[in-house]
Amino acid sequence: MKAGLALIVNSLKRVRFLVLTLGVLLCGFQVLLSLVAASIQRSRGFDDLYSLVPDFFRQLMGPAFTALMSYSGIVCVGYFHIAVMGSLVGLVIALATEPAAEIEKGFMDLVLSRPLARGWVIMRSLAVVLISTILVLALMMLGTWIGQRWLSPEGAVGPSAHLIRSLALNLGVLILCWAGVAVVISSFSRRRAVAGALTGLLALTTFLLDYVARAWSPAEKVAWLSPFRYYNPLDIVTGLPVHTRNLWILGSVTVVGFALALVQFSRRDI
Amino acid sequence: MPASISAISLNSLSKRYGKLVAVKDLSLEVRQGEVFGFLGLNGAGKTTTIRILLDLLRPTSGSAQVLGHNCQSESRTVRSLAGYLPGEFGFYGDMSGSATLEFLARLCKQKIDSHYRVQLEERLEFPRSDLRRKIREYSTGMKRKLGLIQAFQSDPALLILDEPTEGLDPLMQESFYELLSEAKNRGRTVFMSSHVLSEVERVCDRIAVIRQGEIVVVSEVEEVKKLAARKVRVEFSEDCDFRSRELPAGHEFIDSNLRTWNLRVYGSLGQLVSLLGELPVRDLEVEEPHLEDVLMKYYREDGE
Repeated sequence: MKAGLALIVNSLKRVRFLVLTLGVLLCGFQVLLSLVAASIQRSRGFDDLYSLVPDFFRQLMGPAFTALMSYSGIVCVGYFHIAVMGSLVGLVIALATEPAAEIEKGFMDLVLSRPLARGWVIMRSLAVVLISTILVLALMMLGTWIGQRWLSPEGAVGPSAHLIRSLALNLGVLILCWAGVAVVISSFSRRRAVAGALTGLLALTTFLLDYVARAWSPAEKVAWLSPFRYYNPLDIVTGLPVHTRNLWILGSVTVVGFALALVQFSRRDI
Repeated sequence: MPASISAISLNSLSKRYGKLVAVKDLSLEVRQGEVFGFLGLNGAGKTTTIRILLDLLRPTSGSAQVLGHNCQSESRTVRSLAGYLPGEFGFYGDMSGSATLEFLARLCKQKIDSHYRVQLEERLEFPRSDLRRKIREYSTGMKRKLGLIQAFQSDPALLILDEPTEGLDPLMQESFYELLSEAKNRGRTVFMSSHVLSEVERVCDRIAVIRQGEIVVVSEVEEVKKLAARKVRVEFSEDCDFRSRELPAGHEFIDSNLRTWNLRVYGSLGQLVSLLGELPVRDLEVEEPHLEDVLMKYYREDGE
């Protein structure tokens, strides 16, 4: 147990700069979004923006579009902006592929020549991914809170704390799901670049699949394979509750991913 | 630990990677308290065997035991008894030397004696100021020294060292040999692989040679040396025609002329001394055999 904790603490120490930098950047992005939303709100520009968008697009988006074209909607954009999601998925891929990186580097030989159960290597990845994801999302929520507390214009109706928590929860579970996928691939691999590239490619493919399926019905048949299908931020922004089923599916992928990685890593040659 | 238990015991150990056989039906006993040299050319199976001992690789068949514990089913116990220096390893460049040693020490079951570690640092000339630097600033030799410290720091019952002096300067090699000798005096067992035969000859009690995954010889170093021929150079004050002389069995001429004989002698020199007693010998030189002389033969011979 003591050795396992040492492993976790060492990894957390090593990634703290990366995680905190990303967290602070995303926190700043949330503040920036609040500034943008406040600016549009003050100039009463939401109506102009609404009318600029073509009719078919408004119909395609449905009520979500109305929700998005509001002060509250713009503040929430950070929780489903492609750059934010991309950077978070990238972060967890980097963290969850640490076992492959340590094998490639030769450091794993030094670690596993100590009386340490191999399972700790995967448990360490789980702990680091979990703590990092919670920390980054907490910093994002802090950014949103700062924006609402100090930058919100008078009369503007900001997103409720419940809405922000729901978005962060669903986004967090989606990110952990990708950590589960990355750690399985990493447990089979001897090179971080291979494990990272494979997971990244898979993430990009499934993101596009989900995107395409929203506009092209034949793709719907396979769209259930995409983890992104189980994160519907626009539904949440319009006030619908988070689908518990979505959380269960994403959570199950995470748990199965880490369990598979645990088994595979215990069996493999280092 | 009862002395009757072998430090390392390999029983018909095999490891295959698809069609490639890395280690084939390997059986070997290493006694407690000895320094054992594990020799072979690159790709012979030395590192594979070592990694099986530490459960980093799983054998295809057979078994390995360290101090009576199975290397697979009781691998954590085995690893708690062993200190390991891999042939190739990497540290995190963004960690300092001391942080790395601390971290690796925390992964051990037993408490590290800080006085012993300081002693190791001093013996291997690794000052505190260097240990506080990031590893990315270290030279290859410094990384190797750090590797040695982490292997020795828990003063384990068994030291498993894969090419330990690779990258060390001659002074550090001397310090390392001293550390080995002290570990042996404390009753520790050392199992080391090496390419450097002079080093093996100097520090090892016994050796095993592995070729293409199979053990071809296991012997005391002194015994192996006896298998080698001694080179004898005899100078005469008068001409002595070597062609007219019949040499005893186990003796042969190499590069000889009327005034100087160069001979290769297997076994004792008694018969040669008797023969030379009748001749006008001016000078005699006997070159002691080296381990290389025998081992090269084992390295080169094909398996058939």
